[in-house]
Amino acid sequence: MLPEPVLRARGLVKRFAAPAGPPIEVLAGAELTVRRGELVVIEGPSGSGKSTLLNVLGLLEDADAGEIRFGERTVSTLGRSAKSRERGRWLGFVFQSFLLLPGLTALDNVLLAARYTSGVDAELRRRAMALLERFGMAERRDHHPAQLSGGEQQRVAFCRAVLNDPPLLLADEPTGNLDDANGAVILESLRDRARSGGAVIVVSHRPDAARDADAVFTLAAGKLHPAATRRPSGAGTL
Amino acid sequence: MLTSLRRALRGYLFTIAGIAIGVAGIVALGAMAERIVRFIDGGDRFVLGQISVAGRGMGMGAGFTAGGLLPAAAIEAIRKVEGVAGVQPQVMLPLNPSTSQFMTLTQELVIGMDLSVPSPNRHYRTLPVQAGRFLREGDRRKAVVGASFAVSRRLAPGSRLELEGTAYEVVGVLERMLTAPDRFVVVAIQDAREQWVAKDRLLRTVLASGGVALRAQDLNTGAAVGWRDGADPDVVARRIRDQVAGVNVQIPSELSSLLRQSTAFFSALLVGIGLLAFVIGGLSLANTVAAAVFERIRDFGVKRALGATDWQLGREILAEALAVTLSGGALGVLLAMVLGLAIDGWARRSGQQLFLFSPRLLGGALVFSVLLGAAAAAYAALRIVRLSPAEAIRRGSAA
Ligand SMILES: Nc1ncnc2c1ncn2[C@@H]1O[C@H](COP(=O)(O)OP(=O)(O)OP(=O)(O)O)[C@@H](O)[C@H]1O
Ligand SMILES: [Mg+2]
Repeated sequence: MLPEPVLRARGLVKRFAAPAGPPIEVLAGAELTVRRGELVVIEGPSGSGKSTLLNVLGLLEDADAGEIRFGERTVSTLGRSAKSRERGRWLGFVFQSFLLLPGLTALDNVLLAARYTSGVDAELRRRAMALLERFGMAERRDHHPAQLSGGEQQRVAFCRAVLNDPPLLLADEPTGNLDDANGAVILESLRDRARSGGAVIVVSHRPDAARDADAVFTLAAGKLHPAATRRPSGAGTL
Repeated sequence: MLTSLRRALRGYLFTIAGIAIGVAGIVALGAMAERIVRFIDGGDRFVLGQISVAGRGMGMGAGFTAGGLLPAAAIEAIRKVEGVAGVQPQVMLPLNPSTSQFMTLTQELVIGMDLSVPSPNRHYRTLPVQAGRFLREGDRRKAVVGASFAVSRRLAPGSRLELEGTAYEVVGVLERMLTAPDRFVVVAIQDAREQWVAKDRLLRTVLASGGVALRAQDLNTGAAVGWRDGADPDVVARRIRDQVAGVNVQIPSELSSLLRQSTAFFSALLVGIGLLAFVIGGLSLANTVAAAVFERIRDFGVKRALGATDWQLGREILAEALAVTLSGGALGVLLAMVLGLAIDGWARRSGQQLFLFSPRLLGGALVFSVLLGAAAAAYAALRIVRLSPAEAIRRGSAA
């Protein structure tokens, strides 16, 4: 029996107004199902709509058509604050441009993930510190984002995304600014999350990301196309 | 905790400075308006606090006092009128008779008071003294001077003052009241009567002729009249007018409305200036607060992405706006006061005061700022939460 789905998206359409001429259709009926324990990689050329897809899947932006379900619940039709609550409950985000808050320290940026959901307590602070430690950022916990390198900011952003242990992690090029070693640590932790029952959607062009994925899709012409066959559960390398 | 607060405020430094400047403008202009409103109100309170009675022309022409004498018999008659609670005979003389034909608001006057009678004016039981003391019964050749009068002539308790060729000792200087008494010289009524006789050739002739039986206590230009608790001052004033012959009675409410009419333009002008200050200062404040919120639109988009609901975000924005407007407002009040007091320190040398920082102005300006800051923040918050988080992040990143 297949594990239960965490995310189901049907017929997603997203258009943007163009400066001149007809609107650009970035998503044109994209479909995606992600189950517990799956690591899904999305590839595609620059401008193909990968970030747009993650925004729509993460309820950061409404689609023009289509339906999104988290677990059994249809979330694409909820109101504003209800969507916020569902995001807090289900999702972790790693943004392509990190989006750390400039006024907060590295540690406080990580804790921000809990501020509006579970609330911050001593146990969460310990968790946040352990995460920073794991990604080599413990010494930088009191630094502000402006005092961190791009790769360091990316690691802090990653810690923020996984602090709440979200059922679904959306990661937009989480290794884009990292050297091989640090990138490998992030990928390994994505795999860990999937192995321990979480679902992960990651936009990445790294070959090693695709190698260990349960599914790889290419976004082209507004639709997701399988780029590799599903790796048989428990099987080794391809 | 404190360091994080300090850091948060540092991020808002420009916002706080902008608010402070707006509030300082409101407070400074408001304080100038208050200063003049106090002047007008002070006169109003004075005329509403007593019934003023003057002598009517007695057919012998009492020189520059023109209004005539209010003899002791008339004062006795007034005391007996129903509802009257106290009568204080007074002598009021222009200090410089040559300008006496043109009574002006800012005229320097000598006031002789009968110190054996308590002041009947309900709003001015005593005139407040800033240095030295007020006159006591039995004081002779002693004077208490108004604040502006003291400054313009460099007088202090212990100074000497020459009035009609006689030396007076200044025993007190009145507090600045921002109204007519600032230019008064107060002496015992006996001293004022002597000055009157010395000044007024016609009166001297009349007295010398012995044709009219005038005693010293008949030499009054007017009287301040009080009323019993619960009595209607206008009714009492009309009663005096009906029952006592040869007097000119001012009905307090009529005098007050006359005063108000004569200052109506001025009042309107001040209200206009005050309103303008509040509108301009308020707009600048609202704009500053809203801009400060919009500036962080990206952060708010991120927070919503991380699960913040409209309510959580709105509360956060409001709390920050309140902290920022409060600190900016307090700073603005401080700025206006430092500036105003410095200017007044300079203006005082010529006996003037331009600003009045009343509690109601300061409190009002602060409450106004905070309410407006909150409204501006609420407006900005509403605009922001209407955007999708992705749109908020895009707009914030483009800026
Ligand atoms: N707010 C917007 N308004 C108009 N067009 C937009 C908007 N956001 C994205 N687009 C367009 O949608 C297309 C897809 O953008 P998107 O950012 O999703 O691409 P991407 O696949 O993530 O690219 P990259 O690999 O460079 O990050 C682009 O052509 C872009 O111009
Ligand atoms: Mg992208």
